[in-house]
Amino acid sequence: MPTEAQSLLPSDIADRAIILERLQRVLDPELDESMLQLGFIESLHVHEGHATVALHMPTSWCAVNFVYMMAEDIRHALFTVESIHAVTIRVGDHFAAPAIEKAVNAGIPFAEAFAAEGGGDLATLRETFLRKGFLSRQARLLRRLKDAGLTAADICALRIGDLSFAGDTCLAPCAGRQPVEVGPADTAHRYLQRRADLGLDGSPTGPLITDLQDQPLTVERLEAHVTRARTVRLSLEANGALCRAVLAARQTPAHDMWFLGPIKSFQ
Amino acid sequence: MYTHNGQDIFVVDGHMHLWDASPENQLPPHGKNWIDCFYAYHSGLSPADAKWPYEKFCQYGEAALIDDLFIQGYVDVGILNSTYLYEFYKNGFNSHHQNNALKAKYPERFLLNGSFDPRAEEAGLEEFRHMVEQYPIAGLKLYTAEWRQGSKGWRLNDPWAYRYFELCQELGITNIHVHKGPTVYPLSRDAFDVHDVDDAATDFPALNFIVEHVGLPRLDDFCWIATQEKNVYAGLAVAMPFIHPRPRYFAEIMANLLFWLGPDKLLFGSDYAIWTPKWQIEKLMAFELPDDIRQEYGVELTLETKRKILGENAARLYGIDPAVHREKLRRDVLGVHLATATADPAGAEAFPVASVQEHA
Repeated sequence: MPTEAQSLLPSDIADRAIILERLQRVLDPELDESMLQLGFIESLHVHEGHATVALHMPTSWCAVNFVYMMAEDIRHALFTVESIHAVTIRVGDHFAAPAIEKAVNAGIPFAEAFAAEGGGDLATLRETFLRKGFLSRQARLLRRLKDAGLTAADICALRIGDLSFAGDTCLAPCAGRQPVEVGPADTAHRYLQRRADLGLDGSPTGPLITDLQDQPLTVERLEAHVTRARTVRLSLEANGALCRAVLAARQTPAHDMWFLGPIKSFQ
Repeated sequence: MYTHNGQDIFVVDGHMHLWDASPENQLPPHGKNWIDCFYAYHSGLSPADAKWPYEKFCQYGEAALIDDLFIQGYVDVGILNSTYLYEFYKNGFNSHHQNNALKAKYPERFLLNGSFDPRAEEAGLEEFRHMVEQYPIAGLKLYTAEWRQGSKGWRLNDPWAYRYFELCQELGITNIHVHKGPTVYPLSRDAFDVHDVDDAATDFPALNFIVEHVGLPRLDDFCWIATQEKNVYAGLAVAMPFIHPRPRYFAEIMANLLFWLGPDKLLFGSDYAIWTPKWQIEKLMAFELPDDIRQEYGVELTLETKRKILGENAARLYGIDPAVHREKLRRDVLGVHLATATADPAGAEAFPVASVQEHA
């Protein structure tokens, strides 16, 4: 559990571990990273089964559709905790905070709440980013497999059931050798989780590396696939880095203290 | 002018502004929100010694701009991008009318970019024609996310946008800088989506589309489009400052751009005054791609490539011959001042912007 999560709730709250575990799974769909780890959840209070969550986005201009998705996902995640029967989301310093809060807290779907302003179904946008996240997670795993010495032929031959786990480490077979370490277990778990989210084959005999249509990659196609997947991975990661830098700057109340001189560097 | 081992490097800042976000000019509540958001970008990525106090950031004025770009910042020519935002700022954020005052004082130092808004439809076409007749418009900066009377954005492949592109061709305006940014509504649509650039670039092969901020946060989609379309270029503003706090990501971004687009389609831009150019240029000139990234992508960030990025690519698009232009710059008010200051650094005084007259 990251320290961001540890500091959010007093230790005597009922279901504390479950609450934090559920929140940990809520992602910024655009960055494919946990909102908790990004620092977008500023505070969380639970009082007699009523959870209140305050968000803190990197800018007051963050796109409304994505902010709505995150707020809705947090609400749904908290409702899966048995002891929580009410949830209030606060969006904080955001230009559309009142409209988003009103809709999310009443459980009004996005398309309905914003119908007058051209709101539509967010399903397509969600799907787009689930797919980008798939490629990004796969690119990270592929990098690990390659760094561990697996050839293109080794990689294309892998079945899901070939992966094994020892503590926090993932292992994969490598032609003619004992299984080798291929990086953190988390890298593989995140990839397999996204395969499941997208309804791709997750059976132990299924091919490990497929495209988004669940077609196994041949050695000939692998390199072209990797060059695209790594660009998607970079795009998501670089955006995450930018959001973190901007959020860190925003949390420093520099513009109220400009007379004190230059503020502390983001680093 | 940046000098590297005795070699002159021509620098075009492809993306810079002279804005007024002073409290007097702000319209509540978004005028303040907007500049606060910019300030977070500024403080989040600038080196500590290049950070400004908030008040200066809101309104810095001509003297600071001249000093930051031309005296301290190595820039030879700045592309003045006009950003209107009349719904956020009483007199606009930086209109081409305002920017033209700067252009008129230092005619060889700036390229003035105007804009159009297709939502103005027929009446806007006439206005656009007048703008090009009355001002020395070199190119355009389009901001598809700008608010206008209840509408919170438009797209480059809207039928009315095509009418304006046709007029651009007729008037000889060929360089179109495009900024993608967040809108409020329509909400379900991804306002950062760059796919409309693909349509416009295909349908107007004689125009150049410079996608600012390399399409961030849609770098991947931008790369696919720019690889397919000969006339789509990458503006590096916002990607550049990663070089300070996140050099590894900067290296990967550059490697990706060199891999997909090649060295001839990348244009430096500081995004002044979000970031000042001096440190970005110094760090770029000193930067080398890490070995593992060079090997993985099979690309090099050579001195020749840096020259292209810093100025030669933009000069080519805007029809500037660096050797000829350098001579003009040596003789203008700033060139004369820089020569004096270089000859006698101890006796150098601040450049007196107030004494510069507008050229007819």
